Amino acid sequence: MSDALLEDLVPLGANRAAALAALVELGGVAGEGKEMLNVTVPKAKVVEALRACRAAGLEMLTDIFGIDYLTYPGHRGKRFAVVYNVHDVRGTDRLFVRVEVDDGESVPTATEVWRGADFLERETFDMLGIEFEGHPNLRKLLTPEDLDGHPHRKDFPLGETPTLFNDGRFLDPAAFRAGLTGRNPGLTGWSGGARRGVTSTEGTLPDEGRGKA
Amino acid sequence: MSVKPVNPPRDESELPGSFSTRYMRINVGPQHPSTHGVLRLVVDLDGEQIVSVKPQVGYLHTGFEKTMENRTYQQCVTYSNRMDYLHAFAHDLAYVLAVEKLMDARVPVRAQRIRVILTELNRIASHLVFFGTGMLDMGALTPYFYCMREREGLMDIFEAVSGVRMNYGYFRVGGLYQDVPDTFEQMVRTWIDAFPKHADEYYNLFMANSILKARTQGVAVVTRDMAIDYALTGPSARASGVPLDYRKAAPYSTYDEYVFDVPTREEGDIYARMAVRFEEMLESCKIVRQALDMLEPGPVKDPDRRISLPPRRELENSMEAVIFHFKLVTEGFHPPKGEVYVPTESARGELGYYVISDGGSMPYRVKVKAPSLANLQSLEPSSIGGLFADMVINIASFDPVLGDVDK
Repeated sequence: MSDALLEDLVPLGANRAAALAALVELGGVAGEGKEMLNVTVPKAKVVEALRACRAAGLEMLTDIFGIDYLTYPGHRGKRFAVVYNVHDVRGTDRLFVRVEVDDGESVPTATEVWRGADFLERETFDMLGIEFEGHPNLRKLLTPEDLDGHPHRKDFPLGETPTLFNDGRFLDPAAFRAGLTGRNPGLTGWSGGARRGVTSTEGTLPDEGRGKA
Repeated sequence: MSVKPVNPPRDESELPGSFSTRYMRINVGPQHPSTHGVLRLVVDLDGEQIVSVKPQVGYLHTGFEKTMENRTYQQCVTYSNRMDYLHAFAHDLAYVLAVEKLMDARVPVRAQRIRVILTELNRIASHLVFFGTGMLDMGALTPYFYCMREREGLMDIFEAVSGVRMNYGYFRVGGLYQDVPDTFEQMVRTWIDAFPKHADEYYNLFMANSILKARTQGVAVVTRDMAIDYALTGPSARASGVPLDYRKAAPYSTYDEYVFDVPTREEGDIYARMAVRFEEMLESCKIVRQALDMLEPGPVKDPDRRISLPPRRELENSMEAVIFHFKLVTEGFHPPKGEVYVPTESARGELGYYVISDGGSMPYRVKVKAPSLANLQSLEPSSIGGLFADMVINIASFDPVLGDVDK
């Protein structure tokens, strides 16, 4: 899309126009959203691109998040997109800087440009497993430490997730429910009638011990 | 009150976690009234002085964004307001605005004005909780009762409108669930006529109180540069001289038709953050009064049958209406493919829903830009070098809602 065409479509503020020019120079490709401006930049240039945005007057980084396009119909290109939501201090100009990454790839950190990127990158890492190179403290932010996986990935299992707890207890939902309905004693050891309880489930795998109690 | 610079550690053995006794590591929360929710802070102290504050969040993580991917667009309204339970209407509004933009819905003006009235009243209610609980952290018990008394009147209005006092879920994509009751206008007028007079009393009672000023002025300063660097938004940013308010910058829902000011301060201390919110309550009153004056009878739902349920009377004599009703309730509508983001102003800061549609009847991805998470990051730089007792009121001054932080 040529610059002239783009200016027709999106009423650009001065800051956004300057930032867009700088990003296009860095190899960015502008895309069109609903009254939003997306610019996809090469991964290696992302820190430079964000610095350029900040220098051009888009001084605030409000949000960083990832999108998993695994099941998006007709999606071509890499699996994930990391989106940086930057705007100016008056809130009138806004631009979304996007970087495309595949599973296992990492993105350079933006904490050198904005210190506020700290929590936002940690949240993105937690939710999608995208690593940020050079982040001072890249730990999970929201999910518990013993949760395996990254919930916002499209292949994260919903609901029926077998859970291994810290103390070694293993909870398999199917077995648990079977135990409650009495069709199969399951992990609870209850098969209807008087409740017998469980002697020990320590260290047992989900299939062992089933039906014995 | 002057803030002493933190003395740097003399060698490795003095760092927290070593056997040295110079620094003390204290765990605050997650279950403590001063943290305003389930917020845990790991604080390192040098005597009374703070060396570092590390917020640990996630205790209230509910996975709303993931849940919304598996609900129809209309059902998601149930979840949006549960994030920020103090300013719930703002979350509802931000969500429905994003989906309406995706659908190109034409929301009737009456519905937009009612949305503005409720959102602004809710903003006042949220700020009242801020004042009540914030003062409680300073040991002032009286303001809490006054603030809750005022808020009770607002809760009555919300209950009359939506049927509940919390988690309203009253906005729908394309308009409102139903029109407001006949008593609505009178209830709101009575409340906003009384409030400014009461607000004067409160101003004299606490904002002009010399003890409160001594406690909060010059304490926990967030400079303008710091606010920009840490993406602080909302009243907290406006207290540091960042004039960011999306009701002015990107007006939505007829905000451009009302005359109101955006209070800003330059000091960036705790008192400034309180003062900005205090003035904001009165500005919200102005907006509500203007919106009420402009409120005219009319429909409250987009007549577009793609989005809104057909009227009840049509179900009795129109087969098409029954089919539309059935399809909308069971399957929902299908917005075209695309990505939208609408920034709005909640009582805490910039609030926006980034909604991605893949053409299906459920959102492909919803990302909530919740203000509290970003705002919480300013807690550490503003607390360092200050006193531990000041940090407790500093948490309150950013007004975090942990449901908003953890989503």
